[in-house]
Amino acid sequence: MDAQATQADAGRRRDAQTAPSVAFEPTIVAFVCNWCTYTAADLAGTSRMIQKPNLRLVRMMCTGMVDPKYVIKALLSGADAVLISGCHPGDCHYINGNYKARRRVKLLKEILPQFGVDTRRVRLTWVGASEGNEFAATVNSLVEEIRELGPIETRGLKAL
Amino acid sequence: MRKEYGALVVGAGISGIRAALDLAVSGHKVALVDRRPHHGGLLAQLDHQFPSDNCGMCKMLPLMARDSSSQYCLRKGLYHDNIDIWLNTELTGLEGDPGQFQASLTRRSTLVDPARCISCGECAAVCPVQVPNEFNAGLSERGAVYLPVPHAIPNHYVVDLEHCTRCWKCFEACPTGAIDFKLDQRDGFRVLAVTPDSTEAQELLSLLDKAGFPAVFALDQEKALDLLADGDPAGLLLVDMSMGEGVVERIINRAAELRPELPVVLLAGAGESDAAARFVDPEESPAGGGPRGAREWIAKPLEEAVFIPWLDKLHVRLASDEHLVFDVGAVILAGGFDCHDPGPVDDVLGYGRYPGVVTALEFERMLSSSGPTGGRLVRADGKPVRRIAWIQCVGSRDLQKGAGWCSSICCMFSVKEALLAKKALGDEVEATIFFMDMRTFGKDFQRYRERAENEEGVRFVRARPHSVITDWQGGLNVGWFGDDGRQHEDGFDMVVLAVGARPPKGVDKLARAAGVELNEHGFVATRPLAPARTSRHGVFAAGAFAAPRDIAESVIMAGAAAQGAARMIKIHDVLAGMQREEEPEYPDVSREEPRVLVAVCSSCPTLEQRLDLDRLFDRLERLHSVVSVARVGSACTAEGWGEVERLAREEKPNRILIGACMPYAYVPRLKELGRTVGLNPALMDVVDIYTPTFPGEEGPDAAGRREREVYAALATAVARLEGADPVPPPVTVNVARAALVVGGGVAGMTAAVAVADHGYEVCLVEKEEELGGMCMRLYSTLEGGDPRKHMEDLITQVEKHPNITVFKDSRVVLSQGTAGRFRTAMYTPRGALRFEHGVTILASGGRESKVYDYGFKVHKSVMTQLRLEEALATGTLDVSELQRVVMIQCWRSRDEERNYCSRVCCSQALKNILALKARNPGLEIVVFYRDMMAYGFKEAFYTQARRAGALFVRYEPERKPKVGFDGGKPVVTGLDPVLGREVQVRADLLVLSSGVEPAETDELVEIFGVETNRDGFFQEAESKWRPVDFLKQGIYLCGLAHSPMDMAEAIASAQAAAQRALRILNAETIARETVVAQVRHSLCSLCQRCVTACPYGARQVDLEHGRIVVDEILCQGCGSCAAVCPNSATVLTGYHDGPVMALIDAALEEPRHVETPKEREQ
Repeated sequence: MDAQATQADAGRRRDAQTAPSVAFEPTIVAFVCNWCTYTAADLAGTSRMIQKPNLRLVRMMCTGMVDPKYVIKALLSGADAVLISGCHPGDCHYINGNYKARRRVKLLKEILPQFGVDTRRVRLTWVGASEGNEFAATVNSLVEEIRELGPIETRGLKAL
Repeated sequence: MRKEYGALVVGAGISGIRAALDLAVSGHKVALVDRRPHHGGLLAQLDHQFPSDNCGMCKMLPLMARDSSSQYCLRKGLYHDNIDIWLNTELTGLEGDPGQFQASLTRRSTLVDPARCISCGECAAVCPVQVPNEFNAGLSERGAVYLPVPHAIPNHYVVDLEHCTRCWKCFEACPTGAIDFKLDQRDGFRVLAVTPDSTEAQELLSLLDKAGFPAVFALDQEKALDLLADGDPAGLLLVDMSMGEGVVERIINRAAELRPELPVVLLAGAGESDAAARFVDPEESPAGGGPRGAREWIAKPLEEAVFIPWLDKLHVRLASDEHLVFDVGAVILAGGFDCHDPGPVDDVLGYGRYPGVVTALEFERMLSSSGPTGGRLVRADGKPVRRIAWIQCVGSRDLQKGAGWCSSICCMFSVKEALLAKKALGDEVEATIFFMDMRTFGKDFQRYRERAENEEGVRFVRARPHSVITDWQGGLNVGWFGDDGRQHEDGFDMVVLAVGARPPKGVDKLARAAGVELNEHGFVATRPLAPARTSRHGVFAAGAFAAPRDIAESVIMAGAAAQGAARMIKIHDVLAGMQREEEPEYPDVSREEPRVLVAVCSSCPTLEQRLDLDRLFDRLERLHSVVSVARVGSACTAEGWGEVERLAREEKPNRILIGACMPYAYVPRLKELGRTVGLNPALMDVVDIYTPTFPGEEGPDAAGRREREVYAALATAVARLEGADPVPPPVTVNVARAALVVGGGVAGMTAAVAVADHGYEVCLVEKEEELGGMCMRLYSTLEGGDPRKHMEDLITQVEKHPNITVFKDSRVVLSQGTAGRFRTAMYTPRGALRFEHGVTILASGGRESKVYDYGFKVHKSVMTQLRLEEALATGTLDVSELQRVVMIQCWRSRDEERNYCSRVCCSQALKNILALKARNPGLEIVVFYRDMMAYGFKEAFYTQARRAGALFVRYEPERKPKVGFDGGKPVVTGLDPVLGREVQVRADLLVLSSGVEPAETDELVEIFGVETNRDGFFQEAESKWRPVDFLKQGIYLCGLAHSPMDMAEAIASAQAAAQRALRILNAETIARETVVAQVRHSLCSLCQRCVTACPYGARQVDLEHGRIVVDEILCQGCGSCAAVCPNSATVLTGYHDGPVMALIDAALEEPRHVETPKEREQ
């Protein structure tokens, strides 16, 4: 796990060296639920709502199955931020998976600062199936925020 | 084209989908047709639905054999192995008898070949036409070639021929040649013109010649008919009206004999148009041109700029529209409803004149993210919106506008819209709802309204505004007369008209085609106590097509219709002749090294332009499991797909990845590919590589990032496929093919008969000594059914049914097991019995609630509505001696104790009023009420009661009428809001509307492990989409135990519940799902966290073997268990930790720089 992460870090550093004029472009991993947000992301894509193309969508059946270790893994493997997005509260296809995600993300955010990771790097949102523009706006605002925060420092996490 | 189906469902709205799915999951082939170019009906446009303000439509998808249907947002699309969806298709005729109908349908071509359209939008970009976009309720514009809904799957452009100007720009712009205007078929479309005027004929000939249409003309009828008789291949007969009506008629008749399908068009000069129009009789001539009439007429003189495009359109229609014939066992009509158009008729409300006046549907579109404003609430003139008014009953409850009914849904959707507006704009929004009666009669609706009023601050004003006038700043002044009789006025920024439900456009045509009758309101007529049955045997009505209904009721009614259709299919053994497709068997590749074939669709011009495909391929080939990367022309076309198939056969991969657009659209195709090349579809995937290449942000690094993203998408999918688990073969389940029905009232008995008629054993348990329940106390219904006879027949049917065993005076004491395998113990007069069954239907019913005040049970002159009905029916009450009767509604309903509307009492009161008035027209009747819940067509009886002279006095819950007694006669004192003072009424009889409460459910809740809501009624799985299911699978609810409902509604809910239950009873084998949870017992520490995390109760501790077991029927594959498991012992197939971690790595991996062949050369 570490070796790959270092490799990714190295790649980014090289990118920064070869093109110093390019501003830092964060990479974001988004765990999206199959029913709502994935649909919204698809709609955002096919309706040609402008999105910054540094997003890596990982489709899960439900946000309730997003294990916190996946989030940590993504941060370790070179993601500058992780977005978890599912159905609106009460709308979960699996009844209450999004509530479970909410509890988990809250706990995860308690832990992250201890490893030197800013909690803003993990964001949980609710985006319904028809809210393509909402999804685009969420991604864009997260990209802006992370761009200001700068690249992630994962030394603390690697101690895990 | 001729096809065979178990059932035909007309209308692919929510009811149609529900009915089709209900039939499809129990193994029937269904044709689902809709005249619109998209599925989903009105709900395609609505993002939020009351009373939960969410969507959740996907919860209607099957719970068992999930892989047989689509597993994505249902608003985007629907796919099921057993459902064929035919869009743009209308029913034109229905011949034959139940069980063997022949349905004729016309499919209007969209003129865009779905196999070629790649949805790039080039056509729409060049279309010069601008017409209102139906999807956005006319708030935005679309071209004549457009996407009907932005989110559909698959999403192809369609041509709206009516508005097309024939400019050919889209035809030229289409990169794949998908738009087909049948140009090449023009020379085969010969026009035979019959005109006595040779100069006219010459002109016509030259016109046609110029446009490339071959033509021939005849100067008189003999010549023309001779030509036809000699087998002239004419495609169109043009007849000049100047030959005289008699001649024209002869030509038409003779032509119809010679060439029945030949369309005839009349040319009418000045003064001949009326005569021509008579030949074009819409009653006689179906869309394709009937034998007795002309297809249409056109005015002379013919101008090139008009005539040629007209002829072209006619040719295109004739050449591309398709005639279909389906052999079906039963038909379900689910045509939905249309919203009232508040155009000129509601002029006082300023719709269409003032920019702030909108309809409810327009308002909803504005709030939608996919709407014209992207979810921002703004007026057309840009003025900000702060104060919003909703005006109820626009086009409902209004005899002047021809709507003597209540639309049932508007009160609730206005409250919903008010709440949505508050959510969208924050608390500074002031929402006011002007209403006549707030009809919150559904389950939990009263609480919803109260939350809006008390917690969210929505203002409710009881008034029917008479006018909306604009002020000089563009504000809207709403004027109304208050209860105090005075004129009031208030300013708003936006006025939303809660437009009512109307029969859908073309309902008469559809009714004629299906051979069913319409009721006096123009909706499809159904039977009073068989609400899904139309006037024609074998044809059923679902949803709002028969009466205005909300989602939950439409879904129930669709279930009832599906049950009727299923019974018809069963009786006539429609399926006997149809062959079932064998479940394919796939070779086991789990022990093989993954070999991935990557096929990249390179048809979209954007991909080639914006990506270096060679470099991408080079990179992909370096992934160790990839055996081959191939470029495919257009994966979405037949040729492209053939190429994928060929590659799969040649390379023999054990995983296939396709890079294309719109992955969901490939689901059915992957299944097919799996069959043809013998590879499990779970080992194939399609990823979207098209979206990242759309024009967007540009910059120095944009190209590089774009490339990285496409690579990441493909590499991630490869990683996912490497770790994919092949689905094991289907399992045979041992389902106990019997049902337990608890409750022997009308709902329980109806459900029992419905299940038993399908040949399954039913055990009916009733706690009383007799069957019948509450309905035995009904002697008539408002709508005119005969409940007594119905109940007598039903009881006889149940008691004599060979498959039903009735246990009276019995109780269920214990029930164990899960769906398909329940074991229940009961106490009967014959002793304790054990029964094994696959499903359970709870129909424990309700009862008249009684509160002993207002002199009830003390004075003989006080009785409940039910008692009055009985007294009237049995003649124990002498109505002629009565002078005055007082009724009090909502007696202990809708207050703190029982904060729900009992729904039936208002109609019960109306029924008694009409019965009393019929016997003693001079009798004075005073009704104290809060809101008359005369929903739907019951409104007509409310009007009738008022016309008969009954006096309705409204009271507020804070000031309930007081009841005293004077010599045993009741004296009721209440505040009359119209008079503004107290009134005292001395009466001979006081009738109380007692309301409905559930029978004791506590015991059943414990025995069956189900839940109740706050009011003690059973809690269904989902109020809108699964109204007769419990969350626990295999148990269903119906009748009064669900919520208060009238007899017809109880019957419908029972039929719907039975249909749901049949799904499990019909199951012989259960296909294993692609995504399902499993336990690795060696890692499990039995902490049981997964057992509590599972929302479906699919996990149990097997104490005997000391392990956790997963029920494959119940597990829905949500993965909650896997996320809580501390040992990674619980895994979700396809989502094991290893593959997910590899997938994250793949997503983030920075591709090493690879020299492209081009760079190498340099």
